[in-house]
Amino acid sequence: MNYAIGIDIGSTSTKTAVLNEAGEPVALFVQPTGWSSIDTAEAVREKLAEAGYDPALWPVVATGYGRISVPYADKTLTEITCHARGAMKLHDSGDLTVVDIGGQDTKIIQVRDGQTTDFIMNDKCSAGTGRFLEVMANTMGMRPDDMCDLAAKGGGVSISSMCTVFAESEVISLIGRGESKENIAFAVVDSIVKKVASQAGRLQLGDGLVCLTGGLCQCEYIVQALGKALKTDIVASENGRYAGAIGAATFALNVRKKVAQ
Amino acid sequence: MDTPAQEISYYILFGNYTQGLALQALLKQEGLTARIAPTPRNLEGSQPCGMSLLVKQEDIDAVRACIEKHGAEYLRIVEAVNQIRPGRNRFC
Amino acid sequence: MADYLEMWKNLGMDVETHDQLCQVLPTAFGDVYLSQENRPEAMGFWDFVVSEIHGIRPSELIAAQKNGQKVFGTFCVYVPDEVVIAANGIVTGLCGGSQFWVPGGEKVLPKSTCPLIKASVGARLDRTCPFFRIADMYVGETTCDGKKKAWEILGQDVPMHIMDIPQMKREKDIQKWAEEIADFAKVVEEFTGNKITVESLNAAIHTINEKRKAMARVYAATKGANLPISGKDRLLMTQIAFFDDPTRCAEMCNKLADELDQRNKDGVSVFPVGTKRILLTGTPLAIPNWKLHHIIETSGAAVVCEEMCTGTRYFENLVDETQTTLEGQFMALSQRYMKNNCACFTPNTGRIDDIVRLAKEYNVDGVIDVNLKFCCLYDTEGYTVEKAMKEAGIPVLGIETDYTDTDAEQLRTRIGAFIELLK
Repeated sequence: MNYAIGIDIGSTSTKTAVLNEAGEPVALFVQPTGWSSIDTAEAVREKLAEAGYDPALWPVVATGYGRISVPYADKTLTEITCHARGAMKLHDSGDLTVVDIGGQDTKIIQVRDGQTTDFIMNDKCSAGTGRFLEVMANTMGMRPDDMCDLAAKGGGVSISSMCTVFAESEVISLIGRGESKENIAFAVVDSIVKKVASQAGRLQLGDGLVCLTGGLCQCEYIVQALGKALKTDIVASENGRYAGAIGAATFALNVRKKVAQ
Repeated sequence: MDTPAQEISYYILFGNYTQGLALQALLKQEGLTARIAPTPRNLEGSQPCGMSLLVKQEDIDAVRACIEKHGAEYLRIVEAVNQIRPGRNRFC
Repeated sequence: MADYLEMWKNLGMDVETHDQLCQVLPTAFGDVYLSQENRPEAMGFWDFVVSEIHGIRPSELIAAQKNGQKVFGTFCVYVPDEVVIAANGIVTGLCGGSQFWVPGGEKVLPKSTCPLIKASVGARLDRTCPFFRIADMYVGETTCDGKKKAWEILGQDVPMHIMDIPQMKREKDIQKWAEEIADFAKVVEEFTGNKITVESLNAAIHTINEKRKAMARVYAATKGANLPISGKDRLLMTQIAFFDDPTRCAEMCNKLADELDQRNKDGVSVFPVGTKRILLTGTPLAIPNWKLHHIIETSGAAVVCEEMCTGTRYFENLVDETQTTLEGQFMALSQRYMKNNCACFTPNTGRIDDIVRLAKEYNVDGVIDVNLKFCCLYDTEGYTVEKAMKEAGIPVLGIETDYTDTDAEQLRTRIGAFIELLK
């Protein structure tokens, strides 16, 4: 059996996917990126070797912010290209819009006839990203996932500032005012949804599928709220956070392994 | 990766640019290449900006021989390790 | 090496602060420029100028001043160099392309001013740019609100003449710009003490036309499939053209163009076959702003042309050389300069036509529309540019950036993804 490996080193977490020669995922794992993406790449290498997929033997495509830090990668591609490819595979469609809420950036990618045709990425600002949720969850002493679930039960409160630093002080004053956790969680998630929706407004969504990938795609409430904001149904796959890694591994299927040094 | 391990290059420093341009012309006559480069501060010590000649590792012996042969004027030759790194992302 | 410290001190510069720039520039130039292989030999001239950047040209200007010549500092490609040269004056560009000067500008300007204006004002007020110490007079124009108000602040420190640029391109606007040029000519005559004659203005028009033709030759060399020069090398030539003596500039550009023509004949390229071809459009890239070119050209693409003030807008279109009266010459100058398509005009459909035309002429795979942060005019026009490119079937990527290094990785991802999607 032959294998292909995709490694997506994001700002918060590193996702690894191994595909067999039929293109089916045989291993998926995630770990925190930590301080050094070089160390992370080494940890991934060890993990792969232990699991029986030695990256010295199988082609590797690296993506994400840390893509240049994977010395054993045979090729690097940007996460935009890989997310698009991964989402196509996860949703078995060549016409879709991919909304990826990542750790430090949010991307909206348009795919037509199996090709990336356009994309939008947020500026160097964490509004509307996973980091925004993480900072607010920390302020409230809870885990980001719990905050997401809690948001579904809240309402009626909003955060006006898009800036993470200012929004945090808004959250603190909401806590001080005795606002319920549910309502604050709602306000935080609502702020992310609005920001992402306004970004998506610059792209024509078309009739194709709209899917959510990235670490937040398992939060059902975000999927629903974003769908409402974009006036369309949004689908999320259980493996949506691995979209970039699966995309990279899909490209790796067609990459020839460099001769070992 | 942006930095291949230990890339060595040589900078020839001069007292003034007239010396530098003269040596470059001389090297060209002998079929040797040296590119004009602003001298990196870490090589130069306290001197202000100015030109030097950048020579690749494989050419340095021939360049030294040429300088010797013609008695060309220069200040000193400095070896630089990984001085040029296109992936550094430091602009000015 | 060459000791310019005395000269800088005599110019009243803050040499200690200026030294911070001297420390980082050689490293940045090494990473961006000297990392390239097989560069045209003629680029040696520009490498030399950068090596002696705040020394060699300033010392020439100071020598000229000692001979009684006046130096005019300008900020914009609408200001006609010809008028100054006809009165035996010298035109120089000014500093404004580095983050190094930005904090100085932010002391007096709102943070939400574009980096080009902040850097220019900072370079003057902080006394860290020799050109800003040397120039006898500064010529501003009304091409944006940020500049208009910045001139009032700069004018408290230096003598300034402001040219009022029209905002539309009707016949009466071209007439108005001719009148502005005539007024400028009077100011220049008075300031230099030299009369502008039909002969001297014709000679100056010819000089600048020759410089434009020489630059156009270098740009033409990347229209074909073979790429004999990188975009960043060509950009450097253009950036320095704003500072150099126009006759020498033409000579050096022609020499470079000769070498590039030969390289095209011999099939010598600095990029592998199949490298994606990019047209950059948008706000100017003043020296030493090399960030975008470097990121693009280390991500698998080549910049084959710039539709920018530091690009085609600087040299396209010539001034009619057949006029026999000053009035006719001022009108001929106005007609040429008003052909420039800056986002300060409304409507500005000419720029869209230019981009589509250049995209075809240079056979580009994609267009990157660049906006310097807080440039409201180009930012807003970006919508029209992107729409027009989509209609023309040309892939386009909009980028907003400033002079800092902090967005470099993000830009690498965006630009990298854009290049990956080009078929």
